[in-house]
Amino acid sequence: MENNPLSPHIQIYRWHVSSLVSISHRITGIINILAITLICIFFIFFSFSEGSHEFIKLFLQSIIGKFFILGITWSFSFQILSEIRHLIMDFGYGFDLKTTKITGLIVIFGSFILTVSIYLIGRNLF
Amino acid sequence: MVQLNLPQNSKVNKGKYFKDKTGSKNIRKVNVYRWDPTTGENPRIDTYEVDMDNCPSKVLDILNKIKNEIDPTLAYRRSCAHGVCGSCAMNMGGKNGLACTKPHAEIKGDIDIYPLPHLKVKKDLIGDLSGLYKQYQSIEPWLKNNSKSETTEIHQSPEDRAKLDGAYECIMCACCSTSCPSYWWNGDKYLGPAVLLQAYRWIMDSRDEDRKERLQKVADELKLYRCHTILNCTNACPKGLNPAKAIAEIKKMLATT
Repeated sequence: MENNPLSPHIQIYRWHVSSLVSISHRITGIINILAITLICIFFIFFSFSEGSHEFIKLFLQSIIGKFFILGITWSFSFQILSEIRHLIMDFGYGFDLKTTKITGLIVIFGSFILTVSIYLIGRNLF
Repeated sequence: MVQLNLPQNSKVNKGKYFKDKTGSKNIRKVNVYRWDPTTGENPRIDTYEVDMDNCPSKVLDILNKIKNEIDPTLAYRRSCAHGVCGSCAMNMGGKNGLACTKPHAEIKGDIDIYPLPHLKVKKDLIGDLSGLYKQYQSIEPWLKNNSKSETTEIHQSPEDRAKLDGAYECIMCACCSTSCPSYWWNGDKYLGPAVLLQAYRWIMDSRDEDRKERLQKVADELKLYRCHTILNCTNACPKGLNPAKAIAEIKKMLATT
């Protein structure tokens, strides 16, 4: 059996809502850890000098900075919604194929809605 | 360790092309994974043009047609052809299922047929399931009861019997386990949905007196908790069972007892 080939797996397996939510949950989890670390570093910089405060302000007002803020807002939104879905599943509910699809779609679309809402609330537009 | 790429000897090449000889106007292209253990070559994808006017409705019918009329060297498991034996489990159109119950009309475009994912291939569409069978054996799938009597029945109420619904119907075709990414990466330790569903079946059996030991046996970081509710298993099950829910129930029992 040593030289027998391994049959194709992730290369050929079709994605569906639940598997997409599951892998995104992991990816956003990693992004969140990095983002929190970065935010902590920002705060350490704040305490150093006024100049670094200006620098971070400049960064956050640039296009990359805004993308960064929106990005982590989405990442946090997704993680929270997906975590709630997991919590419900841990109680043994929502394992129906149809239900998992609906809750998965709620997580995906909800994360974008939540991101926009948080953005609008943050800008006092709500 | 997660290995996303296939090893060097498993990379799939383009194979032969079998043109239709019947002159039919209703042709579908069928791409089939082939590997011949006698040549030492890499696996390849052979493409067959199949006359759909004279082909019954299921994917297994296509394979039978290829084997009988086009290329007799094709190897695949099949037996009952009614979704009961679980022999013809394979990956069709990117999803695991039984070839004998999967209508080819449900697959759009060309029909891609692969063996069950992430198994050592024995030949063509035949994967090696001995690892899974060993794990199945490890959960001791038989009734354990201390009753000494050989003449009296062990009673079970209709309510207790109903608890086994959705678990006893499993035919061990391995569609679910081989669809599970967690099982792909940790198949040597993680038991996988098929075996855990069976573990659940025996834990839930009111006649079984080994419940505590059974629960303790699966309560392991790797054996059980590698399930991350990806739900490929439930999506793949050709019998409409729900291994993911069974695993969640085991986790719940462990958390509450």
